[in-house]
Amino acid sequence: MHDTAPPPSIDVDDVTVAYNNGHIALRDVSFKLDAGTICALVGINGSGKSTLFKSIMGFLRPAKGGVRIAGLTVEAARRRQLVAYVPQSEEVDWTFPVSVWDVAMMGRYGHMNFMRIPRAEDKRVAQECLERVGMSGFKERQIGELSGGQKKRVFLARALAQRGRIMLLDEPFTGVDVQTESAIIDLLRDLRDAGHIILVSTHNLGSVPEFCDQVVLVNRTVLAFGPTEQVFTEDNLASAFGGVLRQFQFEQSTIQDHDGRTVKLLTDDERPLVFGKDGHLEYTDRQGREQLVKKREKEARA
Amino acid sequence: MTGLLAPFAYEYMVKAIVVSGLIGGVCAFLSCFITLKGWSLMGDALSHAVVPGVSLAWLLGLPFSVGAFVAGVLAALGMGWVKNNSRLREDAVIGVVFTSFFALGLLLLSLYPSNLNLRTIIFGNVLAISDPDILQVFVISALSTIVLGMKWRDLLLYCFDEGHARTLGMNTRFLHFLLLALLSATAVAALQTVGACLVVAMLVTPGATAYLLTDRFGKMLIIATITGVVCGVSGAYASYFLNGSTGGCIVVLQTLVFLVALVFAPKHGLLAARTQRRVAAIAS
Repeated sequence: MHDTAPPPSIDVDDVTVAYNNGHIALRDVSFKLDAGTICALVGINGSGKSTLFKSIMGFLRPAKGGVRIAGLTVEAARRRQLVAYVPQSEEVDWTFPVSVWDVAMMGRYGHMNFMRIPRAEDKRVAQECLERVGMSGFKERQIGELSGGQKKRVFLARALAQRGRIMLLDEPFTGVDVQTESAIIDLLRDLRDAGHIILVSTHNLGSVPEFCDQVVLVNRTVLAFGPTEQVFTEDNLASAFGGVLRQFQFEQSTIQDHDGRTVKLLTDDERPLVFGKDGHLEYTDRQGREQLVKKREKEARA
Repeated sequence: MTGLLAPFAYEYMVKAIVVSGLIGGVCAFLSCFITLKGWSLMGDALSHAVVPGVSLAWLLGLPFSVGAFVAGVLAALGMGWVKNNSRLREDAVIGVVFTSFFALGLLLLSLYPSNLNLRTIIFGNVLAISDPDILQVFVISALSTIVLGMKWRDLLLYCFDEGHARTLGMNTRFLHFLLLALLSATAVAALQTVGACLVVAMLVTPGATAYLLTDRFGKMLIIATITGVVCGVSGAYASYFLNGSTGGCIVVLQTLVFLVALVFAPKHGLLAARTQRRVAAIAS
């Protein structure tokens, strides 16, 4: 069924969103994402991240411009359930009398008949998706009785069960343990390799270079858009975050002589973002980045 | 023994018991959605807002349920409109819109006295229910049950996570309206039994009781419906012996069941919470 579908894409074209009171939430936003990418949507609170999400899902009608999903209007894309959404934890009523299994099954509603009676196929997919996020042992658990990380996994399973090829995640790492964070990242990488588009809204700067191929930096408009290495520069981040970030500079290195250059660490109390001495991005490990390491060595020798 | 069967000797009592049980069940089924959606206040307000519809329907020669239903839906839409176009909070909007409707109803009823007196509308009188009204209750109950039976999963998802329902391509505006329409329709039906003042009890208490007793929505529906039917039937039955208001008996009974659940519920009751605290304190 997926083979016949057009490859996923998100095309945001010159979108301006205004609220009823005339307040402009987003102005002239444009960017385009093609199949097989993880893209971070980075900006401070109130920079229009949620508004942009809502426009992509078609909950808000732009005053100007438009969004096309896989070449379709957002309404048509919604009818085909191309876009799956993982909500922020604060948006969910955790006291609601539904179990982990119920939530996973909700991802299948769009595939079910008028009365939403699950078929064997729906049950199989829901089961498989819960297994994939490691939550199949908690099926009967009421959702409020889960830890922060487990809650996130359940909603991720629901999004997987929907079988959409575009996934939007709103602050997936807030209130989540480190183990779950890396499990989510691994899962997102797998989806990317399978040709999905993943758009992650986050203010957790440190994790972005770890797993995001592209970045959209927003503050009421797009400040920068492109590959992570190009967008994640000190200048860009300074203009996106202003004075919001804590900054630590390690001018005195314990191993090397002080040469006027510094290692910088930016954090908003979560995983820190580290810039090396030349202002390049630092990663937590070298695995998978051998080419980058070689390049740096060459630069150092030159 | 014959003493206990006495109410069944009277046709009006049998009718009252059947109608109360039916309405109790339908309202209770709906109450699960109302309590989870946070519309309890809305249910109260809607049941009062149907009053001008009753009066206008009589003036226009229409069945009073039609007028009441239209008034209820208009009030709900009016509330949505004021909320979206003003800076007021929802409770203030509900307060303003629905009291306006109720006041208009009082005014109309006093200016144009109809065959329905104010007492009947506000406090209900199921013992004097006419056959056409019984038919009306049956039709409303049947329609509500069919619609809820077919769409309860959609309504559940709408109450739980409207955003997700929308991404699945569901028409959430339709679901919102459907829930409002069901609320208005059942409020109209319940008006007959317990009156405008106590309708909200039928539309909230069984759901609230069931919510304390289970963490699964399916079970919640079953528990609430059984509570609603049992309280409706036994309340009407008990009112014969107590010689008291039928509506009052039904609602007092529902409240007693609620109180028992509040204290003794296995997981979310007051006693269970106390035990859990003690166990936690000992363990630490």
